[in-house]
Amino acid sequence: MTLTPSELPLTAEDSTRSRDRSRVDRARGHSRRWLLLWLLAGPGILAMLGENDGPSMIAYAADGAQYGLGFFVPLIPVLFAMAFICQEMCMRVGAVTHRGYGGLVLQRYGQAWGWFGAADLALTNLVTLVAEFVSIRVGLAYFQLGSGVAVALGLALVAVTLSGGRYWRWERIVIGLALFNSLFLVAAILVKPHAGAVVRSLAFVPFPGGSFNTLLLLLASTVGATVTPWMIFFQQGASADKGMTGRDVKHGRYDTAAGAVLAAVFGIGALIAGAALLTHNGSGIGGFTGAGFPAALRHVAGSAAGTVFALGLIEAGAVAILTICASTAYAAGECAGVSHSFNSSPRNAAVFYAANIGIAVLAAVVILIPGAPLLSIALNANVLATVLLPVSLVFMVMLANDKALMGPWANKRSTNAIGITVITFVGLCGAAYGIDSFLQQTHLIS
Amino acid sequence: MNEAHQSSGAPERDLQPPERCEDERVMHLERGQLVTETSRPVPRAALGARAVAALWALRVFVVLVSLMVIYTFVDQLR
Repeated sequence: MTLTPSELPLTAEDSTRSRDRSRVDRARGHSRRWLLLWLLAGPGILAMLGENDGPSMIAYAADGAQYGLGFFVPLIPVLFAMAFICQEMCMRVGAVTHRGYGGLVLQRYGQAWGWFGAADLALTNLVTLVAEFVSIRVGLAYFQLGSGVAVALGLALVAVTLSGGRYWRWERIVIGLALFNSLFLVAAILVKPHAGAVVRSLAFVPFPGGSFNTLLLLLASTVGATVTPWMIFFQQGASADKGMTGRDVKHGRYDTAAGAVLAAVFGIGALIAGAALLTHNGSGIGGFTGAGFPAALRHVAGSAAGTVFALGLIEAGAVAILTICASTAYAAGECAGVSHSFNSSPRNAAVFYAANIGIAVLAAVVILIPGAPLLSIALNANVLATVLLPVSLVFMVMLANDKALMGPWANKRSTNAIGITVITFVGLCGAAYGIDSFLQQTHLIS
Repeated sequence: MNEAHQSSGAPERDLQPPERCEDERVMHLERGQLVTETSRPVPRAALGARAVAALWALRVFVVLVSLMVIYTFVDQLR
């Protein structure tokens, strides 16, 4: 039955969301499948392409520069398949419960677990945001522009996208920017890789040689480049904010799968571009810490490849700043129990908007500190996210299994089995690197 | 993990089964999507002692490994 607005108190946020949903209803009513897909796409693509951020693309390029194409080319699709499993659960829980991850954990399992999750998120988001500004700075440095421009660009983007008071507008602007992640594919084409070598690398090769700890760092940062705590908070919160419902779960899966495929293809693009540096005396890693990957690429593959890679790093950092700030804002609003929606005005959702811009400002301040170890932070951001991820994933699986909340949309046994395997793999990768590095650093092992 | 399913008791009745929400619509929104509805907290789930112990063990493990990563990172800077 349809209730009239006068029978229930409707807020401005409800009205805005209802307007967006009316287009979904019309598209569904007229069986316009492509329009429906267009209207319902968004959170999945943004979560996946947002995670193809500066540190991630640098991690992929570093994998390629140090180890070549074998092992990591087949690994990236596997990791994005894992990410799909996790993100599909987030989308489903958000669509069915109409609530974000942080608020649901806090209310369902207690304040302590909710605030632990929020604290993990705040820490990893701050570190990752610093890394995103670094990524923009590395990209801009190729064009002889400095930190001030990187900070101004990042903060201006956050401010512009926040204006408008509507989720739909924010989402479409960020999707438009995120599609430029394809620049990494263009960079891969420009380095003119040997087609046969790329095809051969798809066959899973044995673990690459070299230092065990370096390999663990690259593995942990590559895992951290595909699944992170902010993606969980973001996709569940955005699915609810977009107004998705149980009827939209099928389209939410298409959206998430499309995001995973695009992110894997563009990630492999960065890897192939980075692999161009493999045969040039390992100028990849050294190049990044020195003049940067784009400059190293220009030296090896021409100025077009370097320019495109630099633009890609700027795009990757910018999109990630927007999605990571949004995830922080969702978590802050949900945990504080106040309005947390792009469909609300800044006056009605002060905490949401303040957290969104506040964490960006905080990260911007860090990168302006003279002598701050920015490159080390960028390379370690993904590792920290990988280490802290298992707890968030466990609660995600618990929520997706909660029949009282999810009803017929609760996890199936097969989803649980895959989900638990993913959590175990992520946990082992992070723990292996953390423990091995610590033991080596304290000289307990050589 | 499955012990999370054993949530409930009396407060669980307050939860709207998703099928029922489908029937009640305000304009183009399901009733459960309204701000007045999402502002109401969901009932607390009752976790078993073993589930709570396992969660705390995981939490402590994750914090320890995080501290190792941060220590290594800081020590390498010096």
